[in-house]
Amino acid sequence: MNADNRKGELAELKGQLRQLAGSRAPGVEDLKRELYKKVISYLTVGIDVSSLFSEMVMCSATSDLVLKKMCYLYVGNYARGYPELALLTINFLQKDCQDDDPMIRGLALRSLCSLRVKNLVEYLVGPLQRGLKDSNGYVRSVAAIGVLKLYHIAPSSCTDNDFPVTLKALLLHDSDPQVVANCLCSLLEILSIEGNVSEAALREKESLLHRNVILSLLNRFKEFSEWAQCLVLEVVSKYVPEDAQETHDMMDVLDDRLQHANSAVVLATIKVFLHLTMSMADVHQKVYERIKAPLLTLVSSGSAEQSYAVLSHLHLLVMRAPMLFASDYKHFYCRYSDPSYVKKLKLEMLTAVANESNTYEIVTELSEYAANVDVAIARESIRAVGKIALQQYDVNAIVDRLLQFLEMEKDYVTAETLVLVKDLLRKYPQWSHDCIAVVGNVSSKSVTEPKAKAALVWMLGEYAYDMSDAPYVLEGFVQSWAEEDFAEVRLELLTAVAKCFFKRPPETVQILGAALSFGFADANQDVHDRALLYYRLLQHSVEVAERVINPPKQAVSVFAGDQSSEIKDRIFDEFNSLAVVYRQPSYMFLDKDQRSPFAFSEDTGSSIIGPQSPGREDLPSDIDARDNDLLLSAHEKEDSRAVSNGSHGYSSSKFHTLQEFTDSAFAPRSPSPTQPIRNARATPLPPAAVSSTAASPLLAVDDLLGLGPSASAEPFPPLKLNPKPVLDPASFKRKWGQLTVALTLEYTFPAQAMVGLTGPQPLVRHMQTNSVQCMASGNAPLKFFFFAQLADAPANTGFFLVELVVTTSSGLASAKIKADDSSLAPAFADSLQSALSKFGSL
Amino acid sequence: MTGAASAVFLLDMKGRVLVWRDYRGDVSSAQAERFFSKLMDGETDPSSHEPVVYDDGVTYLFIQYNNVYVMTASRQNCNAASLLLFLHRVVDVFKHYFEELEEESLRDNFVVVYELLDEMMDFGYPQYTEAKILSEFIKTDAYKIEMTTRPPMAVTNAVSWRMEGIKYKKNEVFLDVVESVNILVNSNSQLVRSDVVGALKMRTYLSGMPECKLGLNDRVLLEAQGRATKGKAIDLDDIKFHQCVRLARFENDRTISFIPPDGAFDLMTYRLSTQVRPLIWVEAQVERHSRSRVEYMVKARSQFKERSTATNVEIELPVPSDATTPAVRTSMGSAVYAPEREALLWKIKSFPGGKEYMLRAKFGLPSIAAEETLPEKRPPIRVKFEIPYFTVSGIQVRYLKIIEKSGYQALPWVRYITMAGEYELRMI
Repeated sequence: MNADNRKGELAELKGQLRQLAGSRAPGVEDLKRELYKKVISYLTVGIDVSSLFSEMVMCSATSDLVLKKMCYLYVGNYARGYPELALLTINFLQKDCQDDDPMIRGLALRSLCSLRVKNLVEYLVGPLQRGLKDSNGYVRSVAAIGVLKLYHIAPSSCTDNDFPVTLKALLLHDSDPQVVANCLCSLLEILSIEGNVSEAALREKESLLHRNVILSLLNRFKEFSEWAQCLVLEVVSKYVPEDAQETHDMMDVLDDRLQHANSAVVLATIKVFLHLTMSMADVHQKVYERIKAPLLTLVSSGSAEQSYAVLSHLHLLVMRAPMLFASDYKHFYCRYSDPSYVKKLKLEMLTAVANESNTYEIVTELSEYAANVDVAIARESIRAVGKIALQQYDVNAIVDRLLQFLEMEKDYVTAETLVLVKDLLRKYPQWSHDCIAVVGNVSSKSVTEPKAKAALVWMLGEYAYDMSDAPYVLEGFVQSWAEEDFAEVRLELLTAVAKCFFKRPPETVQILGAALSFGFADANQDVHDRALLYYRLLQHSVEVAERVINPPKQAVSVFAGDQSSEIKDRIFDEFNSLAVVYRQPSYMFLDKDQRSPFAFSEDTGSSIIGPQSPGREDLPSDIDARDNDLLLSAHEKEDSRAVSNGSHGYSSSKFHTLQEFTDSAFAPRSPSPTQPIRNARATPLPPAAVSSTAASPLLAVDDLLGLGPSASAEPFPPLKLNPKPVLDPASFKRKWGQLTVALTLEYTFPAQAMVGLTGPQPLVRHMQTNSVQCMASGNAPLKFFFFAQLADAPANTGFFLVELVVTTSSGLASAKIKADDSSLAPAFADSLQSALSKFGSL
Repeated sequence: MTGAASAVFLLDMKGRVLVWRDYRGDVSSAQAERFFSKLMDGETDPSSHEPVVYDDGVTYLFIQYNNVYVMTASRQNCNAASLLLFLHRVVDVFKHYFEELEEESLRDNFVVVYELLDEMMDFGYPQYTEAKILSEFIKTDAYKIEMTTRPPMAVTNAVSWRMEGIKYKKNEVFLDVVESVNILVNSNSQLVRSDVVGALKMRTYLSGMPECKLGLNDRVLLEAQGRATKGKAIDLDDIKFHQCVRLARFENDRTISFIPPDGAFDLMTYRLSTQVRPLIWVEAQVERHSRSRVEYMVKARSQFKERSTATNVEIELPVPSDATTPAVRTSMGSAVYAPEREALLWKIKSFPGGKEYMLRAKFGLPSIAAEETLPEKRPPIRVKFEIPYFTVSGIQVRYLKIIEKSGYQALPWVRYITMAGEYELRMI
């Protein structure tokens, strides 16, 4: 349709609509319907029909539902672009909101809320308020989502009219489960956006995780639609039960959800189970056993897309519990008809579950893929075999396989295999003999891919003794220097020729000369430089050159490239979301600009009580940034976690294990989505009770590990501290670096003290009154560097340095104390603790 | 938290938006089209592309059905499993409404499409996705008949999957016990994997709100309860029930009691992963005479009891894509060359237990190979069959009682059938 034609047709439509507008003739509805349909079909194919706006509205007086729907659709489509025209529609939409037919009331309300025109907000409030009180569940459920829409258009008019409060009431008491579900998603979204700026909203969001709410949702769980069940389960996964019994009760209630046909429900249930039992190591293990069967069924039944989503989760789980699927590896065998994205994940699973008992069979299966199906998968399979080989200890069989691959004489197979053989040799030099025998048979002409070529060249250089024709093969490569497009290969070639020269000088000397001269003339800067470097080294002394170019090598024990456990934990916290599919925590892929006001932060859990400042400080990137702002940034993030440790110069790996042990065994990880609820419950308790109950599980941990706050055990005579000590940051830094940790101390702030601790400042001021000065402090996590000095000490001596980290969610403060005179540290710890204990009680 | 979707798009095979429904106004159809065309450019075959793709701050999730892509987009950390499933539900609903979902049916029914998308999701959160419930208030022939729509009463109803007031002249229930056997045999003729996926498929044509009770043979029930039974008991790995089954009741006294939905549904599904002897074993010997011809000798053997008979057996034997001039002899059934599938299809109408049949085939090959020798795909031999009155697991329906307050007599019909699922035997 060309432009003129279209214009003519639109004008015609306009005229026809106008005629029908006031008409009450019989059959007029049918005519209208035809015209509307035409308009909507234009709209669908992307023709601009906004010029008909007023006519469309004029015709909207009808009792016909389909006509109304088309009209609502039209209006919703153009209202944002034409706010003045949208005003025309308010009237009839408002009228429809009071129609006798609940269907029309619901639809009209939905359309009204979807207009997204800011200056029409005032017209929304009334209908929404009525909608939430409507006698019909359908209208109420539309209204519940409507509140969320209103919030996105005008947050203040939503909160000022107390809509969240109304939603909360409906959440607990409405008879219609869909209304409850919609209230829940509206509330969650509103409160977490609002929570970024308002403390009250954060607390309100916390209160959604209150026991009463959770129980009321669970009690009517089966009434919910499957989608609503997913939502509720997501909320439940953040709840921390009061005791083990409650955990078991909840799991009993939800157990049958693992048998649900909806994979989303199953995954959501699994998330609940895993998160509920986080602190119960033995039950957690049983949960893994329990969820195995349902997960495996989901992989092999249902759509390919479902398999994909489930396999992504399995991959995450298997990383945490490698033995879990070790005997079920056959479930991950590829079917011929699987799409390649599923096959890829299955290959990864096979790699991940391989262990000593199943390696042989898995590798046999993978070898079939190498000879089979599409090239991409064949390559992946070979890589998988290689990865398994690198994981294992006794894998001669695997080496045989890889060598068989080479015998297949398919270019891509050979290429992949060469790369792998190279990696294997780097890790297990003892296999060189077997490998080299076969690599020697590879015709260098059949190797075309740069990576493979580089690998082959590397092997030729490295094992020049074992491969009789190494210099001659290298010579071939050098002669075709000009045809070699990849600098990567040319670099490798230089090194290999040099290495070969050290091993077999008479045969190689000429080739080396040729290679170096090619290198000098090379256009690539790196190649050029390397050639020059080698040349000068050799000129200087051959021995030195050999020491540099061909030093004795140590086997590589671990290849780099694995994700940090920190990231993995983050992803695990976001189980059942895109984070798992992307294998990245959500903050890494979510568009931050777009996040506010739309987005929904995944776990605001880490900073619930005592929200320190507006913003989303719970994002790890922010935490890191803030950490860096602190005076001493070199500490690992684990430092901020609450564990006592005797020595300062700990080796990180040892610390990790201890840390992880305590984390997984006893205390919820911080920041963990399960944290907030603990506080939500602790808040209303009187302070005395809190300090004994809330703190006790953590103290119990310390006792178990023998790491208890011993400092508080025996009293020391109070120290006299200099009320105004002086220490400049540089000296602090130096001292901190020199001194070792004399003592560590843990203290749990009572909840009511934490309320006052909305930022570092209150504590800084408080400590000042106790002669402890602050050197630096940071937010999220709350972190302080304090110092104090003995009252009568000479300048620059008698200092105590303290690093204090407060976990806002639990109120747990852990301090590392360093002292010029470490014998005084216990006494200082005593006074520090008493100073801390006075905080908040003033 | 379960994030919300921004919009739902229906695209044609070229990636053009046919219909879309915007929910949150933060992903436009132009943006989606741009993304999709980028995707199609990059891949030779978009259907092999991962179903979850990130692009410029937006996550796109899509599935293909016939000549239509159903896609949703989100800017949040949404729940991938749930949204992908939602897309499949959208497809199911459209299929229910338009018989078949394809480009044409969408174009013809765009008004209904809008209506449906409007009710299936609100502001990016899934709402009602059951065709049964939706059809209560969105009628396809709405243009002609006088509307008698009500809002979805299912939500106010304790039994959300069944409407009240259903009436049939003849009350009948059909229960099919269907087990599909998945087999994977590697090129060394070793059985590497086998499992059985079973389903109790029901079709109910019952009036009112009938109470049904189903009794299965005990052994299965024992397994279902997770009680370890020693000896040869079968290990039903994972039983799933339709939401209508009262699970509490099942836990207590092992009866499967339920008020069924109207029409067809899966009452129960289960999986059995013990080693299953391949019911039909196929061996193929291939002789390649360089580039002139290739010869096959195929043996098919039925490895089940003689009193059972497999029907509609179809053995798909892959042959080279450039094979010509087939010459085939079979000891039973007929074989046709299907060049479009690059396979020889050997069909045997009736294959009793304990029998062995043979096929010999010879194909000519062009003496000159194509310039670019693509790596061979080497697909496996695939087998299809059905064995009526037989289950691998030995599951049995002991009774199916139907009680309705009006007291009518309903007829239950029970059938058993075992069929081939993913039944693959790799060739050497």
